[in-house]
Formats: sequence, C-alpha cells, structure tokens
Amino acid sequence: MNEFVEQFLLESRDLVAQATDDLLALEEKPGDGERLDGAFRAFHTLKGAAGIVDFAAMARTLHAAEEILAAIRSSEGSIAPSVLNECLTCLDLTSRWLDAMQTTGETPATAEAEADDMISRLVASLDADEQDRLHVPKNDNWLQRLGVAAGERFEGPRTALRYVPDQDAFFQGHDPMAVIAALPNLLELDLALTDPAASLESMNTFGCGLDIVALVGTRADDVRAALTAALGATEIHELNSLNIAQAEGFRSKATSLLEAQLLVLQDGGPDGLPGRLASVGCTAVNALIYLGRSESAVDLERAVATAQAERRAAPLVEAIERALAATTPEHANDSTPSQIHAPRALRVDMNRIDALVKLTGELIVLKNAIGHAAKLSQENAEPAVLAATLREQYTLFDRLATELQTAVLRIRVLPLRSVFRRFPKLVREIAGSVGKTVRLVTEGEDTEADATIVDALFEPLLHVLRNAVDHGIENPEQRAAAGKPAIGTVILRARRDADNVVIDVEDDGAGIDVARVRAVASERRIAGAESLAAMTDIEAANLIFAAGFSTAATVTDLSGRGVGMDTVKTAVERLGGRVLLGTKPGIGTTVTLILPFSLMMTRVMTVEVAGQAFGLPLDTVLETMIIDRDLVVPIGFGRAFVLRDRTVPIVDLAEMLGLPRDPSGRNHVKVVIMSVGTQIAGLEVDRLGERMDILLKPMDGLLGGMRGIAGTTLLGDGRVLIVLDAQEMFN
Amino acid sequence: MTVVLHDANTIRLIGACPADDAETLLQHLLANPEAEIDWRGCESAHASVIQVLLVAKRPLRGPAANPFLERFAGPAIAKAYERV
Repeated sequence: MNEFVEQFLLESRDLVAQATDDLLALEEKPGDGERLDGAFRAFHTLKGAAGIVDFAAMARTLHAAEEILAAIRSSEGSIAPSVLNECLTCLDLTSRWLDAMQTTGETPATAEAEADDMISRLVASLDADEQDRLHVPKNDNWLQRLGVAAGERFEGPRTALRYVPDQDAFFQGHDPMAVIAALPNLLELDLALTDPAASLESMNTFGCGLDIVALVGTRADDVRAALTAALGATEIHELNSLNIAQAEGFRSKATSLLEAQLLVLQDGGPDGLPGRLASVGCTAVNALIYLGRSESAVDLERAVATAQAERRAAPLVEAIERALAATTPEHANDSTPSQIHAPRALRVDMNRIDALVKLTGELIVLKNAIGHAAKLSQENAEPAVLAATLREQYTLFDRLATELQTAVLRIRVLPLRSVFRRFPKLVREIAGSVGKTVRLVTEGEDTEADATIVDALFEPLLHVLRNAVDHGIENPEQRAAAGKPAIGTVILRARRDADNVVIDVEDDGAGIDVARVRAVASERRIAGAESLAAMTDIEAANLIFAAGFSTAATVTDLSGRGVGMDTVKTAVERLGGRVLLGTKPGIGTTVTLILPFSLMMTRVMTVEVAGQAFGLPLDTVLETMIIDRDLVVPIGFGRAFVLRDRTVPIVDLAEMLGLPRDPSGRNHVKVVIMSVGTQIAGLEVDRLGERMDILLKPMDGLLGGMRGIAGTTLLGDGRVLIVLDAQEMFN
Repeated sequence: MTVVLHDANTIRLIGACPADDAETLLQHLLANPEAEIDWRGCESAHASVIQVLLVAKRPLRGPAANPFLERFAGPAIAKAYERV
C-alpha cells in the first residue's frame, strides 16, 4: 500500500469518527449549529481526501451528503431524524470501504453501485421541499427528457446521465459543454435551465444555470471516467438496471422468486428432475435479467446445462445461491467473521511522545554513568565501591526500563469510546428490525486498551449486542406480562481490572433457557448425555459458545444466521481473552469479555518438567500446591484429587507434552491449579518456578498453527521459554 | 470578437465563441429585441454562450459549423424552446 493511501485511511478514519460524533450529538440536540458545521466540515474534508486518492465513488457519495448538510445549514432549520440516519449510514458505508481498502489496498469494486444506492437514499431522506433546494432535484423524472432511444429495446449498453454544473463553474474556467461533447458515443442531448423563469434582463452570464441530460452508448463506468473533471452534481445510471432500481420492491420480488426456486429444487425426489431443472432455470434466468444482472444470468444458464448433464440439482442450487448472495450484498457481509488485523498506524498524543523523549534523555545520562563505572573497573577500583556504584546504576536502570515500558505501552492505547460510540445507533436499528424498543446504556467509555484490541472488539461486541437484543430482550407483550418496563435495557460497561480490560454486556431480558440449551446441545451432539447431566446450569448455559450451536427457533435477519456465539469466543480468544456468561431466569443475561490490557506484556509463571522450563499465563493460574501422591486417585482414564470438597482433575504436563517422566517417584506432587473456562484443573509439574513479566512473541511462520502454545520469549540466560496456552491444552 | 451584430435583425456567431462572448451576445440581444441569431459560422460555443441562447428563445438559424453543435446542441436548444 502506498504512503498516500495509508495517510488517506488514517485521516479518513479520524474524519469519519469526528463526523459520527457530531451527528450523534445532533441527534440529541437537532438544532446545534456548531455540531452541524463540524459534521459539514468533516464530510467536506473526507470528500476532498477521497478525491486525492481517486476514489470517485466515495467522493460523490460524500458530496451528496455534504450538499444535504449544506442545504440544512443554509435553511437554518434543524436536521430531521431520517436525514441524520442516512448520513450516519453513509459514514458506515465509508467505514466499510476504508476497511476494504485497508485489506486489499485498492478501492472496492462494489463501491460504484453502493454509492448510487446511497445517494438515492440520501436524497430520498429529505422532504419534498427540501429536495427542491438541493442542486439536483431527484424526483422529477429526468429520464423522461430523453427521447424514444432510451425506452427502446437496444443492443449494447446505454447510460443516461444528468449533469448540473456548480453555479460558479464558468468562473473556475470550466466548460460543461466541452465535457459533454467529449463523452464517448453520445446519442442524445437535452438542455434545460435550472431556473425556467430566467430572462435575458435578469440573467447573469457568469453564473451557470444549466441542467444537462444525455444518453450515451457506453457503460456507466466509462461515463464516470469521462465525468471526473465535471464540476457539480452528476447522476449516472446504466439503463437496463435503472428501471429496476427505481421500482420499489422489484429487487425483493425477484429475490423471493429465486428463493422459491431453491425450494422447488430441494423438495421432491429424483422424479421429473430434468423438467424441474429446466423450469427452475428458465424462471431464475428471467428473474435475473429482470434485475438487470446479465452476468449472473449467464452463469445460471451454464449451471442449468451442467445440472442437466449430470442429472443432479446441486450445480443449479449453487448458482442460484451465488446469484442470491450477489443480489443481497449487505447480508453477505454479516456472516463471515473478519480477520483481526492490527491498525497499521496510530495517532498519538504529543504528551506521550514527549514522555518518551524525556526518558530517552535519562537513559543516555545513565549510559554515560555506566561507562564511567566500566572505566573504574579497568582502573582496579575498590570492589566494594564498584559494586555499590553498579548496584545504584542497576536500580536506576530498572526504574527507567519500567517507565519506558509503561510509556511505550501507553502509545498503543486507545479509549474504548472509539468502538462504543458506533453502537447506540446500531442497537436502535437492530431493535427496530425485530419490533422491540431497547435503550443502550454505555459506561466506562474512557477505559483504555491496546489499539489492536480496541479495533478488533467491534465485531464480537456487535454480535453479543445483537444476541442480547434479538434473543435476550423479550417482546413488548412478554415484558408487560412479566411486569417489566416496555423498553428493554442493555448495558455496555467497560472497566479496568488489574491487567485486564473487562467488558460486560448486560441485558434485562428473560435470561437463558438452560433446559432448552441442554436439549439442543444433546440434539446437536455438542456434549454427551453424561457430561450434560454432570454440568451445572451455568456450565450448560456456556454451551452457547460451543461451535455449531444456535438456539434461535426462527432464523432471523440478525443473530440467527448460523453464526453462533462461538465466533465471539474465537475472536476474543484470538486476542488472548476469555468470555464468561452469567444468566438469571427472568432477570437477564450478562456476557463478560475479559481481555488483556495490552497484547505485548504477559505475566507468566515458569514451571519445569523433564528439565525443561515452560511458562503458564499467570491470569489462568489460581494457586500452586504440593499434595501427597496418595491423595491423587485414578478416575476413569484420568486422575483427580479433592480440593476443598471439590473434585479437580489432574493432568501430568510431561505426559501431555510427550516428554519423559521423572522416574524418581517422589511422594509429593507439585500441582498448579488453573482456571479453564468455567472449570478448574490441576497441572502436575516437576518444579515450580518464578513469576515474570515477559514480552510474548506469538508463534508465526510454520509454527503459527501449533495448538496449545501461546508464544515464546527469551529468558535472561538466553534459553527460549515456551508459554503454554492453558485453554487449548485442556481442550 | 466572434459575436457580431450583422444588422438590427441578425446577430452572428462566428468561429470559436469563448465564455466571454456570452456577455457580448447578451448585450446585443438586449439592445436588439427583434434580432435573430445565426450560428452557421460557429465552430465551437462555450456552455455560457449556449446558456444565453437557451434563455433568449430567439429564432436560431443553423446548422452550426461543428458536428457536436449541429447534431446535439442545436436540436437540444430547439427542443428546449418547444418545451416552454
């Protein structure tokens, strides 16, 4: 990725955040002029940034939003909720584009179509008279101004465009007519004045009041390329898809038609398959052509041929599913958990850099002092004096190193506010789509965490919140029956707990139906009948995090799309964190994410088996103890001992790692008691070591996929310490 | 100067008509309320000039001496006149 794009991504994210802040503040106080100005400026700057990296789709989308904000600004009215929502959606879309650019380094291919869609939504959010004030009045059907050529059946692409140049376009040395004349394959031109009542007496020849509509025989992309120099508002539509986009509901009708075809294929046995294939293929191809998606139609026709030849429905089913996935892009995004990637650049408070500079200065002073001590030792100074000097310098160095470490870690730290602020609107939308009213309360937004963690938290938290709204909070009727307030409450709370950042998502819903969880778990073979029976309620409830579990009886648009809470668990564990669940029937559910404050520093305890040292993350270690070997009893294939009236399974680390066992057969067993998920387990080791803070280096390259190992670090004597991952080890 | 008052009844557009010609054309039109416009000699016209033609709604004698003006701009101006 080149430097410009990197800079662009960095700045744009800031601007999106700033604009979101302003818009959310406007939501609270719609008449706040300063916030409106702030949002307007942010949109304007974003548009400019998009122009610099040649991201035309983003530039024109933001231009449309900017125009709307400008119109509202000049009317001195307050901003309507519908407009606010669309502006926020526009920022969300921009964020998605930025994410895509971050991953691929290129502008996303779907951006043009998404931009068209977004612009029409933005304009449609305005009242009719507000639309009039805009540069391009949307609702007059400007296509009518084109002649028969646009309506006829035609060969080859046709694109209609409307260009309303800025009023000061002439001043800026721009000739809109030259732009139009240079369009490839121009077929028809229509000219009008933005002010039909203009007269020679009143007109200003330096102000542009043209409204140009043209029809060209090329693809929309070519037209867009030709119009990059245009100053003002442009609207471009490729004609075969235009009719569809304008007709409300066409898309959904065609989609449901396609879905119906899938059912036809899935139901019924092998009888009459060829006939079914032919009729389904024909209907689906027509639906796709109707949608103006000829490429998918071609793909489908091929699939029909393959299916007929192979005498099975699968190829056609797949092709229809592909077409459906492409027809509903926003749904496709949801189901795949995205990779966690660290932000490539950070914005850092100047004070934090200054602290580093100061520390570096002190380190240099100390370096000189150590140099002096070295010279003393060469000159055969008194050993006692030398030792005292060295010890003093070591103490100083130790302090500086700790301070430096803290200062460096603080650079990587961000407040959680940057993720939290996206949720109020999303939660409201999610609640609205399932017919509930939910209030989101956020607490502790100022809690800080490593930037990588903060960035990676959005998806898992959104998923937990969706679940809370969709499954946790009851319907209004059920709430009324239970004597609860009609509006559900979800609390999103963050706090710092020692070396961890703890985030709770708490709802006041019905709680988890543990009996149903048990039933589903047994039905889907998540756990065996015996282990299910042995589980406490809370352990059983935790099964919702198991892979392949999903309790939603009806698959809703939101959480029940087969992606369960296991993705949340995976994402959090990938960050070195844990997920806990608490639930009380009728009172509510709390999902707690416990994450390390920093990805860099880990506290470990060292243990030794077969003469080799291993590290165990200290946050999973509960206690260490030495017990009598007689107290360890075999149970089934394993061994266990009783700790404070509780049976704790015990595992020999040497055996687990395939190392030779210490044959000495001592009478005592050294055990590290560890917490694994909701359970505890003992780990038998040869020797207990010390506690230390280490910089954990994750395994990469060929060793990256190794299970059970969290990473490595170098010990003071140069040995490599392997740090074990307790969660994976016990699973 | 490419906008010329031929006589009280005809204003001619000749050669390339840049943005500045719009004001000249407007002044001629205002001074000669009956004058027609003849753009048969016009080889190119800035959008500002075309804008004056659209507002003027005066008889336009063509075709202009440029394929774009002849095929597209001329008919578009004629259509705009009809619409009002």
